[in-house]
Amino acid sequence: MHWRSTTARFAALVFLLQVAAAATLLLTLRAIVRGQVYDRALATEEVLRQDLLAIQSDAGTAGLARAIELRGARPARAGAVVLLADAAGNRLAGNLSAWPPNIFPDDGTIAVELYRRRHDAPEAMLVRATRLPGGARLLTGSVVEGERRTVRLLEAAMLVALSLAIAFAALAAWLAARMIVTRLDDTVTTLRAVRGGDLSRRVADDRSGDAFALLADAVNATLDRLDSLVSELTIATDTLAHDLKSPLTRLRSALERAAAQVSEPAAQEAVDRALGEGERVLALVETALRITRAEAGIGRESFAPVDLANELEQLAEIYGPLAEDADRAIRVVAPEPLTLPLHRELIAQALGNLIDNALKYGAGTITLSLKMTPNAATVSVADEGTGIAPEHRAVALSRFGRVDEARGGNGAGLGLSLVAAVARLHGGSVTLDDAAPGLMVALELPLRS
Amino acid sequence: MSQKILLIEDDAATADFVAKGLSEEGFVVDRADNGRDGLFHATDGSYDCVVLDRMLPGIDGMAVLAAMRGAGIETPVIVLSALGSPEDRVKGLTNGSDDYLVKPFAFAELLARIRLLVRRGRSAPAVETVLRCDDLEVDLLARRVKRDGKTIELQPREFRLLEFMLRHAEQVVTRTMLLEGVWDYHFDPGTNVIDVHLSRLRKKVDEGFARPLLHTVRGSGYRLGVNP
Repeated sequence: MHWRSTTARFAALVFLLQVAAAATLLLTLRAIVRGQVYDRALATEEVLRQDLLAIQSDAGTAGLARAIELRGARPARAGAVVLLADAAGNRLAGNLSAWPPNIFPDDGTIAVELYRRRHDAPEAMLVRATRLPGGARLLTGSVVEGERRTVRLLEAAMLVALSLAIAFAALAAWLAARMIVTRLDDTVTTLRAVRGGDLSRRVADDRSGDAFALLADAVNATLDRLDSLVSELTIATDTLAHDLKSPLTRLRSALERAAAQVSEPAAQEAVDRALGEGERVLALVETALRITRAEAGIGRESFAPVDLANELEQLAEIYGPLAEDADRAIRVVAPEPLTLPLHRELIAQALGNLIDNALKYGAGTITLSLKMTPNAATVSVADEGTGIAPEHRAVALSRFGRVDEARGGNGAGLGLSLVAAVARLHGGSVTLDDAAPGLMVALELPLRS
Repeated sequence: MSQKILLIEDDAATADFVAKGLSEEGFVVDRADNGRDGLFHATDGSYDCVVLDRMLPGIDGMAVLAAMRGAGIETPVIVLSALGSPEDRVKGLTNGSDDYLVKPFAFAELLARIRLLVRRGRSAPAVETVLRCDDLEVDLLARRVKRDGKTIELQPREFRLLEFMLRHAEQVVTRTMLLEGVWDYHFDPGTNVIDVHLSRLRKKVDEGFARPLLHTVRGSGYRLGVNP
């Protein structure tokens, strides 16, 4: 998956936010617990200090030293730390052996590790040095060894929690990405089915009202519109066919009646010519309608299994005598039968058009061939004439497009575009190629389920 | 006794033309210009063939057909329609019609098809292995063609064409009927594809014999028969 992919970015965002949320939560918790724990120690220390300061102001430094010794003799608060030293830093009283070298008055509260007297392990404590009137120094504090252990445990638990949170965040990101893909899956399959010709297919409505449901609604509305346009087109073309054909039928009836009544050869010929022209107009209308319908995907419901090799043989049989009369031949190169779901009538007409074109404008042997690749069947019609120059091929495939007057003639402008429309109806394509010499028109039909 | 045709067609000009033509050919024609009247006449069941326009005021042609078949009336029906796409044709034929003719049609085409349906309606096709016309004899099993005792060599496509002509001997067969009957295609192959086939067949079947059997019917198609 590319990093620009919205799904990937969305997944990454979910992951990062999850991790950030978990980390913030844990850090805040740690700060609060830590604050709570140490605040109590600080408060104890402060009470002790105020107490001692009060004694000092009442009884002086010597009195304070006595009071401290007295307190030390009885089991006062277990975690209390007290040291009274003279101006030079010599111990006067208290449960520390000596004044710690790196602690000075007015430093505020400092966390240190010190040995208390009669304790064989250093302990974490919060201490504060106070300068007493007369130059003596008082160090008060509170042991926070238990609190520190609690905080350590808390931090270890937090690390475990954080790694779990990362794992969950990864899972959440993956699930979120999956959810997007799955949510869009129905829309994608629907659109694919519609493209394949199933115009009635719609995205299922899940009534969630979310962005995906909105998209599904918009897609469905678009498909409804497309469907109605196609049916309108069908109705329009059918009506056009009907409206054009009724007068043509009457025209034809009138001409047939005239043909039966006139006897002069000149009049006969004129009537015949008029009949012929009428026929051509009709053929043109019919072909144009077939192209329009094929382009609109109408006719997919008529697909049925057809053996292409057999169709080629039949077409060669139909056009064979015409070719032989022109001292030419039609050859079929179809190594094996190949049955595909096809619109037989339209495929045959398209190939018939190509053979007719090859007879009219090409030269030499006409080769009808059928080739198989893993994904497609290619039917091609090739002749040995002059072909069409590469720069003119696109024009030749367009509707009413004619390469030049030499390749023109009656009604030839629609032949190749019918072939192209029929190919598209089958999900395939048409290519014009150089048969060296001659023109090769290849119809590629995909082998899909 | 002359055969009765029911013509259900709303376009007056087309109906006049068809009715006049059919009368001239010796048919008795009853006319209806909407689906309701048409269905009413058709339920009578006395017709040899019904010519039914697909787009009708009142009841649509396909509905008339469905109602007829629903009522158990098996009269052959030929549908006339301006809808010429292969899908429309298939729909028309699967809905119970016996033939489907796209407008505009040549009257000769309609006539040939009506004759075919009327004849088919009267006699059930027997399983034949040898087809004959005058001194022409076609053995379908051995795929051998003889005329006046002489063997004629035909290519498979010529054989199929001749078989079709023989099965419809003495009837006018149009080019589209041949294309439909022999190759099952309904599109116009263009140029004079069918004519070339027939002229080749004629060369082999008629050349060198006293009486020609394959006749060109001007403006319609071909007929195989003894009389010119």
